[in-house]
Amino acid sequence: CCCMLLLLCVNSTFAQTKKISGKITAENNEPVTGATVQVKGTSTGTVTDVSGAFSLTVPNNATLVVSFVGYKPQELTVGAGSVYNISLETSASALNELVVTGYTTQQRKDIIGAVSTVKAKELVAVPAGNAEQQLQGRVAGLTVLSSGQPGTTSLVRIRGFASFAGNEPLYIVDGVPTFSIENLNSFDIETTTVLKDAGSASIYGARASAGVIVITTKHGSRRNDGKIQVTYDGSYGWQTPGKGFDILNPEETAKWTWIAERNAGKVEANGNPTHPQYGTGVNPVLPDYILAGGKTGVFAGDPAIDASKYNVDFNKGDIYQIVKANKAGTDWYDAITRTAPIQQHAVGLSGGSENSRFYAGFGYYNQEGVVLSTYLKRYSIRANSEFSIKNRVRIGENIQMTFRDNPQLTNLNEGNAISLAYRMNPLIPVHDEFGGWAGTAAKGFNNPSNPVANQTRSKDNKGHAFGIFGNVYAEADILKDLTFRSSFGGNLFSFYANGITSRTYENSENIGSDQLYENSGYGYSWTWTNTMRYEHTFGINNIKALVGIEAIRDGAGRDMNGTGLNPFTNVVNYRTLTGTQSSGRTVGSEGSPGNDIFSMFGKVDYTLMDRYLISAVLRRDGSSNFGIANRYGTFPAVSAGWRVSQEEFLKGVSWINELKLRGGWGKMGNQRIDLNNQYNLYAASASFSAYAIDGASTATFEGINKARIGNPEGRWETNITTNVGLDATLFNNTLDFIFDIYNKKTSNLLFNPELPGTVGQVTYPTINVASMSNKGIDMQLIKRGTFAKNWRYEANLTLTTYKNKITKLSEGVDYFDGNSFGSSRIGTFTRNAVGQPISAFFGYDVVGLFQDDNDVKNSAAQDGAAPGRFKYRDVDGDKKITAADRTFFGDPNPRVTSGLDITIGYKGFDFNMFFYAVTGAKVINYTRWFTDFFPSFPGQAISGRVRDSWTPENKGTTVPIFEDVSNFSTNTQPNSYYMENGAYLRARNVQLSYTLPASTIRTIGMEKLKIYVQAVNLFTITGYKGLDPAVSGVDTNFGVDYGNYPLTRQFILGLNAIF
Amino acid sequence: VGLYACKKSFLSRDPIGQLGDADVATKKGVEELLIGAYAVLDGNYNGFNWQASCTNWVYGSIAGGDAHKGSNAGDQADINPIERYEALSTNDFFNVKWKAVYDGVARTNNVLKALAKADVSDADRGRIRAETRFLRGFYHLEAKKMWNNIPYVDETVDYVANNYKVANTEDAWPKIEADLKAAYDSLPAIMAQVGRANKWAAAAFLAKAYMFEKKYAEAKPLLESIMANGTNPKGVKYALAARYQDNYNADTKNGPESIFAVQASVNDGGQGNNSNPDQILNFPYSDKGAPGGCCGFFQPTQELVNSFRTAGGLPLLDGTYNANPVKSDMGIAADKPFTPDAGPLDPRLDWTVGRRGIPYLDWGAHPGISWIRDQSNGGPYSPKKNVYYKSQEKVLTDGSSWTNGLTAINYILIRYADVILWAAECEVEIGSLEKAREYVNLIRERAANTNGWVKNAAGNAPAANYVINEYATPWTDKNAARKAVHFERKLEFGMEGHRFFDLVRWGEASSTLNAYIAYETTIMSLLKGVKFTEPKNTYYPIPQRQIDLSATNGVSALKQNPDY
Repeated sequence: CCCMLLLLCVNSTFAQTKKISGKITAENNEPVTGATVQVKGTSTGTVTDVSGAFSLTVPNNATLVVSFVGYKPQELTVGAGSVYNISLETSASALNELVVTGYTTQQRKDIIGAVSTVKAKELVAVPAGNAEQQLQGRVAGLTVLSSGQPGTTSLVRIRGFASFAGNEPLYIVDGVPTFSIENLNSFDIETTTVLKDAGSASIYGARASAGVIVITTKHGSRRNDGKIQVTYDGSYGWQTPGKGFDILNPEETAKWTWIAERNAGKVEANGNPTHPQYGTGVNPVLPDYILAGGKTGVFAGDPAIDASKYNVDFNKGDIYQIVKANKAGTDWYDAITRTAPIQQHAVGLSGGSENSRFYAGFGYYNQEGVVLSTYLKRYSIRANSEFSIKNRVRIGENIQMTFRDNPQLTNLNEGNAISLAYRMNPLIPVHDEFGGWAGTAAKGFNNPSNPVANQTRSKDNKGHAFGIFGNVYAEADILKDLTFRSSFGGNLFSFYANGITSRTYENSENIGSDQLYENSGYGYSWTWTNTMRYEHTFGINNIKALVGIEAIRDGAGRDMNGTGLNPFTNVVNYRTLTGTQSSGRTVGSEGSPGNDIFSMFGKVDYTLMDRYLISAVLRRDGSSNFGIANRYGTFPAVSAGWRVSQEEFLKGVSWINELKLRGGWGKMGNQRIDLNNQYNLYAASASFSAYAIDGASTATFEGINKARIGNPEGRWETNITTNVGLDATLFNNTLDFIFDIYNKKTSNLLFNPELPGTVGQVTYPTINVASMSNKGIDMQLIKRGTFAKNWRYEANLTLTTYKNKITKLSEGVDYFDGNSFGSSRIGTFTRNAVGQPISAFFGYDVVGLFQDDNDVKNSAAQDGAAPGRFKYRDVDGDKKITAADRTFFGDPNPRVTSGLDITIGYKGFDFNMFFYAVTGAKVINYTRWFTDFFPSFPGQAISGRVRDSWTPENKGTTVPIFEDVSNFSTNTQPNSYYMENGAYLRARNVQLSYTLPASTIRTIGMEKLKIYVQAVNLFTITGYKGLDPAVSGVDTNFGVDYGNYPLTRQFILGLNAIF
Repeated sequence: VGLYACKKSFLSRDPIGQLGDADVATKKGVEELLIGAYAVLDGNYNGFNWQASCTNWVYGSIAGGDAHKGSNAGDQADINPIERYEALSTNDFFNVKWKAVYDGVARTNNVLKALAKADVSDADRGRIRAETRFLRGFYHLEAKKMWNNIPYVDETVDYVANNYKVANTEDAWPKIEADLKAAYDSLPAIMAQVGRANKWAAAAFLAKAYMFEKKYAEAKPLLESIMANGTNPKGVKYALAARYQDNYNADTKNGPESIFAVQASVNDGGQGNNSNPDQILNFPYSDKGAPGGCCGFFQPTQELVNSFRTAGGLPLLDGTYNANPVKSDMGIAADKPFTPDAGPLDPRLDWTVGRRGIPYLDWGAHPGISWIRDQSNGGPYSPKKNVYYKSQEKVLTDGSSWTNGLTAINYILIRYADVILWAAECEVEIGSLEKAREYVNLIRERAANTNGWVKNAAGNAPAANYVINEYATPWTDKNAARKAVHFERKLEFGMEGHRFFDLVRWGEASSTLNAYIAYETTIMSLLKGVKFTEPKNTYYPIPQRQIDLSATNGVSALKQNPDY
């Protein structure tokens, strides 16, 4: 690449200038941090620091515009003085805030796209290891599905799902695009803006189709006293694991085992069932010991209980365990969890002088997970600074460095600690009699492994990541109204992990070797953006224009990994691949050259009489992901707005402060496919194309196989959005109402349909074939005011709805199953089909349980039908239950999600509650397959639900007969029995804070001190019977609970202080 | 105003670690594509695909009455309906098997496509083409056994040509024969590596195709030629291994009996994928002291075990063996005494089946119920032919997985015993019954080698009362002779994945399997209410997913098999 930048410098003259400074405060004399002080009609301006101070060099007789989120903008003319202290009035209207949008900032009143903002303080209200989680419920039109695992990545979706190729929104942090903000310290964030429609987002055309979230980080302000402001935000708290699963106690487990065997007629010659632990009596008997040597079901006094033979050290010979039965029952969920501390500390330093300003942020976040051996430790440093040269040129940088250590468990997996907690039989203790691990080596409990042992053994496994993210930029005011900006930014990261999968002895299916793994890699992306901005007002006309070019390389990097077996010892400091045995090592490496994008774009906003607004955007993108013929795509958008309240006929209506109608239409693109899609490719694989052609037992010849069928014809996926909205501010600025209705259609959707087996097992070409539609309404209502002397309140309600429908897949293919994620042992529960929403639940619809033989006889013929078993709906009415009777019986997409934030204040006290609610979503509780059906894995834990299982005496139940029978009518088919209502209402935050009076605080040298107590996730009201109804996944397969890390309660004490 | 002057190359990014069409259209490329086409002989194209196992332990042995699924009822529940002849076309097992077999076909076609453009010598071109056609014939033959009505896919089928929705309405036998015949005609006997298909491997597969087509007249001379002249790629003349069990041991693989085998390799950087991971489930289930570590599947049936009963050293061809069943430890606790059956048995039983009280290779005596996951679901027996010796653990088993059950034991697709017994079948149908007897006796003579019998724990005597003799009386009745030959195949190839397909090609599936069900039901409830129905159950259903994927305007190129 040989990109050259030509700078055309234009001479211009500036008026005489002078330096001013001052302080911006709010009504109660609180300093306003982050307020913008700008010379009207220019881009000259600054932002106030934490004490509200600013300093600025301005032309004589300039008009200053002071604005800040939530306050009325103020204008004043610079006179003779040099100090300007300004008190802002709460505009109380979200409509007047200054909003950071695509490549620029706009006042809310001028915005005609669908744009939402999140206040910095709302964002940090609830601690989270990943800022994206903090957006949940804050923005109408944004859904966030997240588990409780520290540092987890969430499913963040703006206005539903537009694509199969990737629906993660594009984040723009200080002008630099990225798809992950996990390294951001939320205390460094100043503004967050969500661009939801084409009118607002298509300026990022190439990658905007899933919406754009624009974030800016804090800056210092220019001031002349040289003082440094220090802020501190800290909190410490405890997370409680809450209640686990409703599992039968050991005695009940044994009793129901007998019932299951008898119901299946599985009895011995003596007429009784048999079990290695419970004996073979009329009634099962719990043994004293579940294991002594190789013996199971042992009673006190047995010679096998011989402590002298005990051994759990492989080096010393055969394993000999003595394991006492835990007749009281082990609560495995309790055993794998703990009350875990969570703490975070953030220090911000900001300051500046006439020609420079800076912000430095230091963050420390340490969240232990409630599940053993899961945690997130994050250390971050931010350094933002800007230097002015001769008042016309500004050069600066925003740099963030982050180090993360974040071992996680595999969420939504039948083998993770949470799943093992509902699978382990409670008769098994955690430890054997001499401190070794106990487990299913004691026969009769099937094959789950001891999750406490697993988590403890992995406690020293490390997963580090180090990243630098940021940009350097230069801005030059070429003319009074014309500013050039160039920014080069990006992301550079490296990661390293090592750990061991230990050899085990306590399980029925043991791991035979200590396996060491080690992997590392690096990656980078960069973006170079050059823009020219112009703004001019002439008479009743205001025009803003922006043109730019951008070059991007995204997702480049390489990594390598290796494994080795049986190091001499698995002491942490001995763990190197070099120290593993010489045979059985594996190595691998891979890389991506990165996706290159080259773009040109422009935008014009025209306002007539401050009431008629028109905006047009055009972007042209070229992407390396497509073949030469179809590399470029063009993405236009137009929007219009009418501030009706400015019209004469409404001027007299006193209760309307602002009323704006707006609408927009535009195209956005998506190109998130593998760069390799355009090529036919072949690869060598030591696993799947190598072969021991010479008959060797421990070596292979290299082979290659076709890895991918290329599609050189691939092109941009196009997303056309129509949006109509209304903004209103009413009743003396005490009520804001924002409403948007949209229709979003994706066509030429990039999809790689499965091809017939006859083409071979390769990566199929992604082709532009499918289509999808999303329709929905976003709504936000803000009410604020006072209701008695010294009492104030604010309520902010967001409502999100969307209706997603797949309208086409490809020729001859009208569905594909969502089996790319998680694992079900009875086939997939989700199917993506034409006419259905994404990830719809598919299978047999259970209409009830067969009540008696007559019921079986009179119903459609069904394999395995018998009283107490599932009766499936005969969808096609042919009196036979066949594969054709499978149907769509549920949808994980919520009907409405909403967030309600209420703050009530009295003097220095503030009481805040934030509720998040989801309605209409369904969840598949796949854990029932393990716990509700005896033959799934006999001997494992049994759900308390079976107490209400069908018997001839208990017919009015939905729980099928508990029996050791596995067939079509019992536990082998995905069906609606597993589906539960996933609606819930969660108290995300309940917080009481007290801000000490400024006068008191100043005496000890502080500007502000606030202390608070907080309960996060205090309660969740739901009918869902699993741990947590918020079940994530991947777009084409989500809402299936394969063992989900729950969000749990947190109690936190915190303070923030300004010095 | 900024201006970029950019070369087009900024937007052209080359993949990392991948080869393009031009790279593989070379001598090296074609040779390695060919290795890649061999690599999926095990059905393992993307992971441990027991559904697609080359040993056909589900479709051939379980469905053929050799074995039960085993384990717990709910584990790998998709096998239950296959065992019960109730499987639906939506059963994922069929789809995975289909994908694996046709991936093999596609890999062979990719060799031929690259070969057409590659600059290689005529000799190499001929050999590569012949090896490739051998493999293509093999993969199609595998599909043909399963589904009968199959699409035949050659190198003219291509995604770009949009002709990849291939119909299954035309009989594939002529094309399978043509591939195998071409390989037989052009391949040399001597090859660079022992794992390659040579002339005689091609001959044996061609003969196998003929046997399935009942073309005895074509098969007979070919089989005789193999017996007279056949050698492995290293020039070693084919023969029965001196000891039966040498066919199931990684230390003695590629012996003279191995005509064509799936080569298994461990600790080779392939993370166990080049072993036989499709057998991973098929080890005894126990906490300790047992091989493998997972998962108690593939348990021999009582009916199979009974079949090894002998009288006068000969099998009970009239089926009366079930009247005097081999004593089992069903329902007997591990610490309760049990004495194994004392009656006369064919010695091959204890290389085929793990049963209580009999040494299980060098793992000690099979302890019975403590190695069985759920007797009531799978019976009291364990599989054995896929099991490694304790002395081989971590040397000839792969260490990179959680289980030790990834071994370097080859699965022999055709062994010399096949050739002999096919020849015996030909003699019964169109030749001399006495010649057939002579062939069968070759097999029994080897089995009678006392040196190859399982020994007791002390190693000084046979582990059981083995009595085996050759057929001494001349065969005069064609039906009786046929019965003897067919039964010999049952004994010789027990648990080797052939039984169901043999029964179908002989036309004996319905009678034999319904009799098996009737007997086995007296011991276990597992097969209650099960019936093998002809013609439906003689072939498996075409996977519904493949039918759906082959549709154009709602009409599929693939037609479902009858009655599904």
